[in-house]
Amino acid sequence: MIEINNLTKTFGSFKAVDGLSLRVEPGEIFGFLGPNGAGKTTTVKILSGIMRPTSGSVSVAGFDLATDPLAAKRAIAYIPDEPFVYPKLTGWEFMRFIGDLYSLPVPDQKKRIPELLELFELSAHAGELLESYSHGMKQKLLIASVLLRRPRAVLFDEPTVGLDPKSIRRFKTLLADIARGGAAVFMCTHILDMAEKLCHTVGIIYRGRLIARGTVAEVKKLASGAAGERSLEDVFLELTE
Amino acid sequence: MLKVLLARKVLTAANTLKGLRGWKLAKNLLFAGAGLLMLWALYSAFWRLLTYLDGVELIGPMLSWKLTSMVLLMTFSMVIVSSIIISMTTLYYSFDLKFLFSTPLDLRSIFMDKALETVFYSSWTLVLAILPYIIALGRVKALGAGFYLAYGFLMVPFVMLAGVFGIFFSMLVMYAFPSSKTRDITWLLGSLSVSFVYVVFRFSKPEKLLRPDSLEIVAQYIQYLQSPTAPYMPSWWVTKAMVAYSAGHWRAFAVNSGVLCLAAAALYALLYYVSGRLYMRGFSGAQSSPRFKGGRNPLPEQRLAAAFPALRSYFTLYWKDRLMLGRDARYWSQIILIAALIAVYLFSIRQLPLDTADLKSMVSFLNVGVAGFVMAAIGLRFTFPAVSLEGNSYWLLKTAPITTASVMREKLTVSLLPAVFIGLVLITVSNYLLHADLFISVLSTFTIGVVAVVITVMGIGFGALFPDFNVENIHQLESSYGGFLYMACAMGYLSLVVGVEAWPVQMHFAERLGRHAPWNMRGVAVCALAFAALNFAVAYLPWKLGLRNLEKYEI
Repeated sequence: MIEINNLTKTFGSFKAVDGLSLRVEPGEIFGFLGPNGAGKTTTVKILSGIMRPTSGSVSVAGFDLATDPLAAKRAIAYIPDEPFVYPKLTGWEFMRFIGDLYSLPVPDQKKRIPELLELFELSAHAGELLESYSHGMKQKLLIASVLLRRPRAVLFDEPTVGLDPKSIRRFKTLLADIARGGAAVFMCTHILDMAEKLCHTVGIIYRGRLIARGTVAEVKKLASGAAGERSLEDVFLELTE
Repeated sequence: MLKVLLARKVLTAANTLKGLRGWKLAKNLLFAGAGLLMLWALYSAFWRLLTYLDGVELIGPMLSWKLTSMVLLMTFSMVIVSSIIISMTTLYYSFDLKFLFSTPLDLRSIFMDKALETVFYSSWTLVLAILPYIIALGRVKALGAGFYLAYGFLMVPFVMLAGVFGIFFSMLVMYAFPSSKTRDITWLLGSLSVSFVYVVFRFSKPEKLLRPDSLEIVAQYIQYLQSPTAPYMPSWWVTKAMVAYSAGHWRAFAVNSGVLCLAAAALYALLYYVSGRLYMRGFSGAQSSPRFKGGRNPLPEQRLAAAFPALRSYFTLYWKDRLMLGRDARYWSQIILIAALIAVYLFSIRQLPLDTADLKSMVSFLNVGVAGFVMAAIGLRFTFPAVSLEGNSYWLLKTAPITTASVMREKLTVSLLPAVFIGLVLITVSNYLLHADLFISVLSTFTIGVVAVVITVMGIGFGALFPDFNVENIHQLESSYGGFLYMACAMGYLSLVVGVEAWPVQMHFAERLGRHAPWNMRGVAVCALAFAALNFAVAYLPWKLGLRNLEKYEI
């Protein structure tokens, strides 16, 4: 699972994340919502090990990211909003690179990589350089590389940006599969409709502070004067006004 | 519209300057100060040279103007080659082009904006590099401030004319072969051209200019001096305008500078017209990637990783880097430049006018410092950028279960073997050409081996200490603050290495000259210890500082 304790990150005098604490259990899909500049990406970068917190702690699958970063990183998979990949590697080589970097058994890789490339309709492009891939194709390749690894915690930052409708639908199914497999899923998104339908729990971050946390139904109740049928979007807009 | 586009550049520059505060400002001032110091050193050297040339009886003034025309011709050629290489990026692959093309801007305005950017980036370093020469020339010939103003005025159409050739070349090539493969071929041709110009210039033995006796008769020499250097080139027009200014021939100055300005105006008008017809096709083609079909067979490193599981992450990073560098024409085409550099280096060693065996051995020893400098320069281009070349994909390594130290170690081994090989080639061939004695040969070979390792470790260390994962090309890294500091430290290190070894070498020469009991073994031991301590410190400190910085680095 993912456990965040009193996490704070400052840039000079600006507090990007302010005393954030939450837990995401194995098998749970957690939607992390917030307006632009609220601290979502900073949080997910800290969880992935790209950034260091100013204070507070993060542990993944029982490994503290500060004291045992390699073990924690072995358990984490991270997909950023911009799918930067090595432009001069082919799709196949990239998958092998990830497999080797995370020490996956070679026979497993040889079996699973073609399956995953096929699943994401990338087989025909597997021998092409990644510089010729579109944004969506790179995103699909990164998701395929996550599935290759079977991580215990998955961090997504705007995972559906650039994906076509068919791939988005497939992604939703895969996300549910990943969670059913026992992984904790932490997903930053602006697509509130997707969060409402897909996430078991959601959290709303605003100006670095977590202002709401719970199931979608619980969060809806938090909004003042909650009455009748209100969407997560209505609640989000009200809380972050 | 072009005004709006140019205004954004002025605003960017102004905002960058405004943002310079505290440590950032101090760092930039330090950088600028060091740069000025280097320019001053160049100025002093040029001043001495020009004072000597100008003082030669009868032909003195001709000599200095002949040299000026050669300097300007060289500058003109280098700006052309630079503009060919740079225009490919600025005209077809800049970050902001997709945005600019999506705006309702006139195609020609976008093109001219990028053309002026090309001229600026391909000429500013060269213009700066010859500035000390021009200042020295003005002082030696006692020309006033007006001369420098006239020179500044002439330089604008001069570099614009040089740049336009590269821009035209890129546009026509991309129009005829609209593919990103063309970019790779152009970069390769660019490297070949630079190497060719460099080798031809050196092999033409320009030192003959300073030795009139090398030509058969004096009249031939004077005729050579009086003849124009490439008469149809703008560099000759600038030279003539400058000569006219210095002699007070205002009409000749006006004619030559007028020709220069008119030629620039005409070519840019043509460029403006032609770009409207040719640019779009090239730009559109550049967006497509060449077809590449990679195989699925295991790589040698993957087989090695299977045999040595403990080294799996190392071999994985190694094959990734090997494939990436091998497929990046910008990178491997520069190997041609290195080959040219080595050829010119060894040719220069062969041409040294050394008469005695002692002198040859002495030069062989000092050659360690010069060969070390060449290696540092190569390191600046290949080793120092190694970490930053991970680029935007660095997040993959940052989130992977591997240590930063292992990433740096892998980068080190990629550069280490070529560096040691180049160092050994430079020194062993030089020693052979100079007939160095056994002691000097062994000492210099051993030293260059150690220097190669230390300079490579330094390169990776400084690269990690000053990483920049957002650069568009290697040249930006080379001319960065970190690159400058790396070169400065490498220079300091090399002078200390030569200094530490000077005492034992002095003892060796004392023995050669037959002095009684020349060896002081305690002194040799002190020097050996100092050598070991120096190399350890110079390798260890940048590595540790770089490692610490890269571990803390946040993307």
